[in-house]
Amino acid sequence: MSQERLLTGISGLDELLDGGLIPGRAYLVRGGPGSGKTTLGLHFLAIGVANGERTLYITLGEPAEQIRSNAEALGFDQKSISFLDLSPTSEFFTDIQTYDIFSPAEVEREPTTQKIIDEVKRLKPQRIFLDAMTQFRYLSTDTFQFRKQVLSFMRFLVEQKITVLFTSEGSEAAPDDDLQFMSDGIINLNYLPDKRTIRITKFRGSGFQAGYHSIRLTSMGMEVFPRLQPGTYKKVFAPESVSSGIAELDQLLHGGLERGTVTIMSGPSGVGKTTIGLQFMKEAAGRGERSVVYSFEEELEIIVRRCQNVNIPAQSMIERGTLSLVKIEPLQFTPDEFAHLVRQQVERQETSIVMIDSVSGYRLAVRGEDLVSHLHSMCKYLANMGITVILVNQTEAFGGEYRGSEYSISYLADNFIFMRYLERNVDSKLELRKAIGVLKKRLTDFEKSLREIQITRYGIKIGDPISGLRGIFSDLPQLGKATDGKL
Amino acid sequence: MKDKPFILAVDHNRRNLELLGQFLNKEGYQTISAGSQEEFQQALSGETEIGLVLVDISGFDRQIWDLCEKLRDDQIPFLVISPKQSAAIQQESIAHGARSMVVKPLAIREFLGMIRGLMGE
Repeated sequence: MSQERLLTGISGLDELLDGGLIPGRAYLVRGGPGSGKTTLGLHFLAIGVANGERTLYITLGEPAEQIRSNAEALGFDQKSISFLDLSPTSEFFTDIQTYDIFSPAEVEREPTTQKIIDEVKRLKPQRIFLDAMTQFRYLSTDTFQFRKQVLSFMRFLVEQKITVLFTSEGSEAAPDDDLQFMSDGIINLNYLPDKRTIRITKFRGSGFQAGYHSIRLTSMGMEVFPRLQPGTYKKVFAPESVSSGIAELDQLLHGGLERGTVTIMSGPSGVGKTTIGLQFMKEAAGRGERSVVYSFEEELEIIVRRCQNVNIPAQSMIERGTLSLVKIEPLQFTPDEFAHLVRQQVERQETSIVMIDSVSGYRLAVRGEDLVSHLHSMCKYLANMGITVILVNQTEAFGGEYRGSEYSISYLADNFIFMRYLERNVDSKLELRKAIGVLKKRLTDFEKSLREIQITRYGIKIGDPISGLRGIFSDLPQLGKATDGKL
Repeated sequence: MKDKPFILAVDHNRRNLELLGQFLNKEGYQTISAGSQEEFQQALSGETEIGLVLVDISGFDRQIWDLCEKLRDDQIPFLVISPKQSAAIQQESIAHGARSMVVKPLAIREFLGMIRGLMGE
């Protein structure tokens, strides 16, 4: 970065702004009521205070006392922020001495601007947050005056090398297009019924990450979760195969799953998809590598217990730090927030395998947003980081015509492993067996036959290739007559 | 500035008087003010030399025109300030000797120009 940047106090926002705001300029923060404008402003001033800068909060609407107590509740060091309270006092209402001889604009504007000028000259702040600039509209006799006034006011502030954030309550009834033209950058805050977003629409002299990004307002203030942009992350890694630790499974896959690839593990409920994934992790743990499972459906204790039952020592892997199980409640995160969580985990600690269990659970978490594009960028990001990605995809039907995957995500997969139930007759008794096969493998060849898979308390057992199987993509594959019943 | 005659502001509304006073003082004029007909009368019969009268007719009854006529007879120029743009008030104002009628809210620049003209500057 060639330019000096000014941190906004919200790390995600700095990321969107390519490192932060360019100092000495005026930025517009737009948003309706409750969208988080004030919180953003407090972050902006608080980080200034933390850096030993002088900061000024000019309020034209909300009383300073109220802002102070709200800031206190959010854990900001509000005492070090100077306030200039230009909000109307209650006397304004109780004082019957109203006037009509001059227009309010003529009477009130001068004292208001004079107070600001005096305070700015006295305090010489480096950061100013002004809430809300739209108030000045009512102090101007016409739009031309307003425009001229705001422009010269901003010039006055910027000439003192002050970085200004000013808010606007833009709405359809009172558009703020003029303010948008005048500012050096625009930060839009949006409050939709089910989520909050942030969007940068202008930033003079700098690039920025466009599009909508999730934000969260918590008891700690505002957090911004930039949308994953897989292209910007690249890690050098050896495209070696990751073994499953089961010779037959590795044979099926002609070596294993490669680093930096995405594997869809598809099959009906209970067939053993998660277990196969964890088997890869067990083997990785043996090499001292770390894996992460994001479980959207199953409780962590159940996963751990299930692993123990099939000879995967999940508990001790967790204790040694080679396995992280993370339970994600549906509707807990937006896709951007989840991506942020994943990024934190894989960037802070070397990670070898990531499993998302399952795609349906993830779909619930993205709340009807475009599943494919979010999952795509997540997988691409992880693959670029050299991680072996396993997507667990549950097919709805136990039998029925075979469908590779729901939600048309097959294109995401470098490798496609499918698991099925098989029917077989043993001494005129019907038995259900499980089988595993590979449909696609981008980097290597693979075995084209199915193998039986048994999950026992000694671990996963995979048989020899099954011969004489018919109709493996039909309702229920059946063993043909030619078989010796070996299966 | 001592030699300059005073401007008398007549207004039923105290806050208006205050604002008018502030504005005129800032522009370098000395003012006296009257908030009622009685005060108006007193001001006229006082010692102070009055160069211009600004009469905000809002809140006064028709007797205000008698005082306006007295101003005309004394050859003191005056402006009528009207709460609304009205041909009737304008006619009446001129008929009772006003130099002009201005409508609230006053556009400061224009208003100042008139005052300067009437004060002979």
